[in-house]
Amino acid sequence: MEARLTGIDRAEMLRYLRYGGGAIPEETEEALRQGEERLLRAARPRAVWRAFGYRPDEALEGTDFSLEGEDIHAFLADCDQVILLAATLGAEPDLLQKQLRLRDMSAAVILDAAGSAAIENVCDNLCADLAAAFAPRHLTERFSPGYGDMPLSQQSGFFRLLDISRRLGVSLTDSDLMVPQKTVTAVVGVSDRPQPRRNPGCESCAMAESCVFRREGKTCGK
Amino acid sequence: MENEIILLDGAMGTMLQAAGLPMGELPEVWNLTKPDVVADIQRRYVEAGSRVLYTNTFGANRLKAARCGCSVAELVAGGVRCARKAAGEEPVRVALDIGPIGQLLEPLGTLRFEEAYELFREQVVAGAEAGADLIAIETMSDLYEVKAAVLAAKENCDLPVWVTMTFEQSGRTFVGVTVPAMALTLTGLGVDAMGFNCSLGPRELLPLVQELRQWTDRPLILKPNAGLPDPATGEYKISGAAFAREMLAALPLGVQILGGCCGTRPAFIRDLSLVLKGRASAKARPAVRHGVCSGRRTAELDGVRVIGERINPTGKKRFQQALRENDIDYILARAIEQQDAGADILDVNVGLPGIDEPAMMTRVVKALQGVTDLPLQIDSSDPAAIEAGLRAVNGKAIVNSVNGRREVLDAVLPLCKKYGAAVVGLCMDENGIPADWQGRAAIAQRILDAALAYGIPREDVYIDCLTLTVSVQQEQAGETLRALRWVKEELGLHTVLGVSNISFGLPARETVTASFLTQALYAGLDLPILNPNLQAVMDAVAAFRVLSGEDRGSAAYIERFSARPESRPVLLPESGLSIEEAILRGLGGETARLTVRALMERDELSVINDLLIPALDKVGEKYEKQEIFLPQLISAANAACEGFELIKARIARRGGESVSRGKVVLATVHGDIHDIGKNIVRVVLENYGYTVIDLGRDVPAEAVVEAVLREKARLVGLSALMTTTVLSMADTIKALRRSGSDCKIMVGGAVLTEEYAMQIGADYYAKDAKQSTDIAKKVLG
Repeated sequence: MEARLTGIDRAEMLRYLRYGGGAIPEETEEALRQGEERLLRAARPRAVWRAFGYRPDEALEGTDFSLEGEDIHAFLADCDQVILLAATLGAEPDLLQKQLRLRDMSAAVILDAAGSAAIENVCDNLCADLAAAFAPRHLTERFSPGYGDMPLSQQSGFFRLLDISRRLGVSLTDSDLMVPQKTVTAVVGVSDRPQPRRNPGCESCAMAESCVFRREGKTCGK
Repeated sequence: MENEIILLDGAMGTMLQAAGLPMGELPEVWNLTKPDVVADIQRRYVEAGSRVLYTNTFGANRLKAARCGCSVAELVAGGVRCARKAAGEEPVRVALDIGPIGQLLEPLGTLRFEEAYELFREQVVAGAEAGADLIAIETMSDLYEVKAAVLAAKENCDLPVWVTMTFEQSGRTFVGVTVPAMALTLTGLGVDAMGFNCSLGPRELLPLVQELRQWTDRPLILKPNAGLPDPATGEYKISGAAFAREMLAALPLGVQILGGCCGTRPAFIRDLSLVLKGRASAKARPAVRHGVCSGRRTAELDGVRVIGERINPTGKKRFQQALRENDIDYILARAIEQQDAGADILDVNVGLPGIDEPAMMTRVVKALQGVTDLPLQIDSSDPAAIEAGLRAVNGKAIVNSVNGRREVLDAVLPLCKKYGAAVVGLCMDENGIPADWQGRAAIAQRILDAALAYGIPREDVYIDCLTLTVSVQQEQAGETLRALRWVKEELGLHTVLGVSNISFGLPARETVTASFLTQALYAGLDLPILNPNLQAVMDAVAAFRVLSGEDRGSAAYIERFSARPESRPVLLPESGLSIEEAILRGLGGETARLTVRALMERDELSVINDLLIPALDKVGEKYEKQEIFLPQLISAANAACEGFELIKARIARRGGESVSRGKVVLATVHGDIHDIGKNIVRVVLENYGYTVIDLGRDVPAEAVVEAVLREKARLVGLSALMTTTVLSMADTIKALRRSGSDCKIMVGGAVLTEEYAMQIGADYYAKDAKQSTDIAKKVLG
């Protein structure tokens, strides 16, 4: 299954930009449109995934990598298999943002928001494809390193098992941050029972670490 | 090696996994723990016909080795030992395999070019000591990383260097490197063979091989995967025989070194060996396309290519100030401006008395590469600065310049050769500029001969016949043009010429410059150096491209002028807006106009304090109430900036004191690379009239302390996005406190809260850009 970017959810983009419901002037509307177009032109979505047998107190089947933290195991309570996935928009959006910062910071911020919405779209599409491929079994939502008590240091395990550097052109810094920035890694559980939608709730959102709402103690209410 | 075919091996990773290597374990460890298994796999390749074995050292760099507790030297020596053992008595060469580091280099990532060089150097030295016969750098996506590896190889051993990179079907690598950029850069760096590995199957790579052949004269390497993997299972399906058949098509293109990557096994190499028996590769031939490039963009010399001249402090007060104050963003803005105006290449000159030119050159070249794809021309008379620039450049640069003086040629040409740069030769020498065209032609010939003697190819020598000012020496314009025509026609060299000089001292300079430019282009000028922001001059280039046939169907010309309004002077109607309204709507031009009008009735400080600042306060208030959102806040701040800038310029002209409201040092802390929040704060603070010293991202605590003490800043802003990097924020705060500075510290970032901020010792918590201005006002006034 190919990584697909099929659209940018405007509402989601506005949430990242801390839109509070006021009137959007024409100039801003135009800037938003332009940001979406720029992002769609620049993005080169790519994704990799792989399924592993799962037991809560063991390394993933055939590997030396264990999922850490209590939250992830609660999340996977019904599951005997997990899918590790990684998706990226590629290097272009990062480079474009560096250029835009010097021309027009407002456009750079809009591009950033468009990128965040876009990588969510790529992940959603991938998960929809996976759900079809794994039917009649059922998938959980996504859970990423950094959510709840799953440490960011787990990223290196994702990188090894999925060969992310080579296959996606994404690298991991010493402090476990991914470059290019519009990149997501996540665990999806596979179960025989239908899995509850856990939203609203932030633990399954890729933006949890950088969310502008959480910082104010609010949620986006998605 | 003429055109004899050299057979490589096939996949190592695939074979190791089949032999039981656990997923995620570093394969190189087996060189030490299971050397027999590694050597046995390689032995099977030798038996299948491989005459070069790649050592099992793809990831044997210090960063990856750290994970397994082994040293680079041990892993590399073990790898060479295994391959030697497998080779036995056969005539097999052992290639030290070097793969990517696994960390992205600057500007995209945080690994510095110099650090990458060090990592590769360690591998090369270990490999040479262990007795490898050649260096094989493979599976690379980033040309800058390849350059670090090639330099590390060439500067630390005498072994041949082969490079293969990994491309996507789009014709680019993950980070956007193109085939011409790869070919020009690596040919220039003097690698012995180049090509592709991994990525795709032979069939998919053929079009890329075809393209590569046009840009280089080196032997080509092809080491593809076993076709495309099955999308469902990830398995490679193609048979060895089919793989071999597909590879055969590469021979006429000059591919001389062949092997396999992922999914290929000894049987594939045997099939390949059978098919290739008795065949030879097509003879190597000179490249038919030329040019210079960055990592991602090529300026091919098959038409007019404009070199922008604006990154140069000569005669520019504001630019000099930027250099002295390390205001790199000012320089970057000049780059973007020229790129938008149509420059194809950027000249970079940072020479100014009192600054460390080599260090500044490195810094500016690296910063430019973060914001523009344009190839660069390193412009200096200091060989140390030229070398600094050439080392830091990603791609193939131009050096500006040498002249006919022997000592200059001997100092600079070896650098051009080593780093693979093209070179500009000025038609002058110790006796000055010859008055007639014949004198200049003779110097051009001398420069060419010297360049050829240093091994620089003809097509990389660009001659500048020198423009003199027509209002001073009128007859010289003709001499320049005659010399230019001779160089083009008789020497067959590319030509470069700074044209702006011609019109100095005359009214309506653009008219004379544009006219001279057109004549020079007609005489054979390829690379005019000019100010691309001058519309009339760039119009002349656009028109010439139509007349020469370069602009097919006049498409670019038509596009250039379709957007241009009729040049009738139109008086803009009064908008009837107040300054506050103009700022609120983000209308920069209107804000500037209204500021000018207000200055007729009030003094500068009153305009700032009674009009601009209150308008910004109103903007902040609306933002807090969520009546406007982030893009509007930034646009409004930018609009206000137009007013501030105007007033600053007015006061500066009078020689008055600066109107800065105070200095703020900003940094995204060590380990953190997410700096957009910090950048927003910067723009907003600047536009509120504060001077911001922006230290960038991933900034070590010592650098923050150093800047705060140096600038005597009373306010510091730190940002960190992740929980992990907040720890580094706490360290930075501790270091600041220990330094004895009494600066106030404000912190921000997604995972911070007021409470947490206080806990790690900050004075203020800023939840957004607006609050940072409130804090600045409290601390600095």
